[in-house]
Amino acid sequence: MYRAVVCRLVTEAGRVPRGVNHGALALRLRSFSGVKDEQQPPFNRSLLRFLVCPLSKRPLRYEPETNELINEELGIAYPIIDGIPNMIPQEARLIEKDTDVSTTPAQG
Amino acid sequence: MAASVRLMLRRAVRLSHGKINVAAADTAARSGRRLAPSTCRCFGDAAGDRITHFGFETVPEAEKAKKVYKVFENVARHYDTMNDAMSLGIHRLWKDALLHAMHPQPGAQLLDVAGGTGDIAFRFLEYVRSQQERQKRRAARSMQTPSWRDISSSDQYASEDEAGPRESGAVVCDINKEMLKVGKRRAESAGVVAGLSWVAGDAEELPFDDDQFDVYTVAFGIRNVTRIDQALKEALRVLKPGGRFMCLEFSKVTNPVLARLYDAYSFNVIPALGEVIAADWKSYQYLVESIRKFPDQEEFKLMIEDAGFFCVKYYNLTGGVVALHSGFKL
Repeated sequence: MYRAVVCRLVTEAGRVPRGVNHGALALRLRSFSGVKDEQQPPFNRSLLRFLVCPLSKRPLRYEPETNELINEELGIAYPIIDGIPNMIPQEARLIEKDTDVSTTPAQG
Repeated sequence: MAASVRLMLRRAVRLSHGKINVAAADTAARSGRRLAPSTCRCFGDAAGDRITHFGFETVPEAEKAKKVYKVFENVARHYDTMNDAMSLGIHRLWKDALLHAMHPQPGAQLLDVAGGTGDIAFRFLEYVRSQQERQKRRAARSMQTPSWRDISSSDQYASEDEAGPRESGAVVCDINKEMLKVGKRRAESAGVVAGLSWVAGDAEELPFDDDQFDVYTVAFGIRNVTRIDQALKEALRVLKPGGRFMCLEFSKVTNPVLARLYDAYSFNVIPALGEVIAADWKSYQYLVESIRKFPDQEEFKLMIEDAGFFCVKYYNLTGGVVALHSGFKL
């Protein structure tokens, strides 16, 4: 219990200056790279071992550019927000057959 | 638009992958009895017109999920504080009891559904880590006077193969992203990252492959699921053969005096606490009412057996305020 309290105090104290540096770094990187989204934590690929599409139970493909998990068969993409894959069927995006990016977002 | 697409996809998938439904029908026929759920779940025709309960209210099934989502979105920030306040800290003992009953060994994979802020997952990882340390200590003690063979094959001189294939992991799955965010933040501030994953998913349609997990837990979440039988079937699907289903849920208090006190406490103190701490009377009113609408220990045991689990048992904690149900996939 004491350890937990001390840990929390330490991280609380350390969070403020670290946050400031991270923000500054992110700003610098964003201006150079432009495309990469620095604020998104990386997706844990080991999850792909057992993640499947909830509708068809088929394996998914990870798309690093759009940061989504794609089910080619059904043509839907599940977004990954803050490193957490959102596997709720209502919030999946339909991928148009001819173009890469769909303009009609799915709504629950 | 997506709702209709989803229905269409679901129907297509169900037609082509009919084996799951056939298996479920088999177990239902085998069990012989079909009790009328006292929770008045299925009224109306099969066109999706069914009504269910949301606390003491009656709502269409389609609405319940949305309303429950709203409730947890509102309470997510104060969830842990409220748990401590409402249960006077006893919820920690209940969750510890769950872990002790589970007694996971290093290498076990856990799926914690409706895990929200990750209480069970944290305890699981902690338990497994202490088990691993205990095993190492036991091994060290038994090697006080090692022979040359023991020394040459020991950890110091050989590669660390033991730790590799026996990595245990916990996956926390919750339909509510706010709860997951709170949980992830807690994990990061506690420095627990290895072996812990967070997924947003529906308990009735789990995004996991068959036969993946050693233990499936759902702590104080299953009463919020719209179709409990569907969630139980999914639990059966994702568990490995020999895997264990464990459910902590509020249940019927056996002692009538305690029941009277518990009711008074639930309906008067808890929503008031919710108003004071989280500024949300209605959400906590819902939570208390949903406890009353949930089936009691025996009925839930029958539901678990109907889903296809074996050796289903339940243990009453705190006089029946909470029941721990356990079943195996064989």
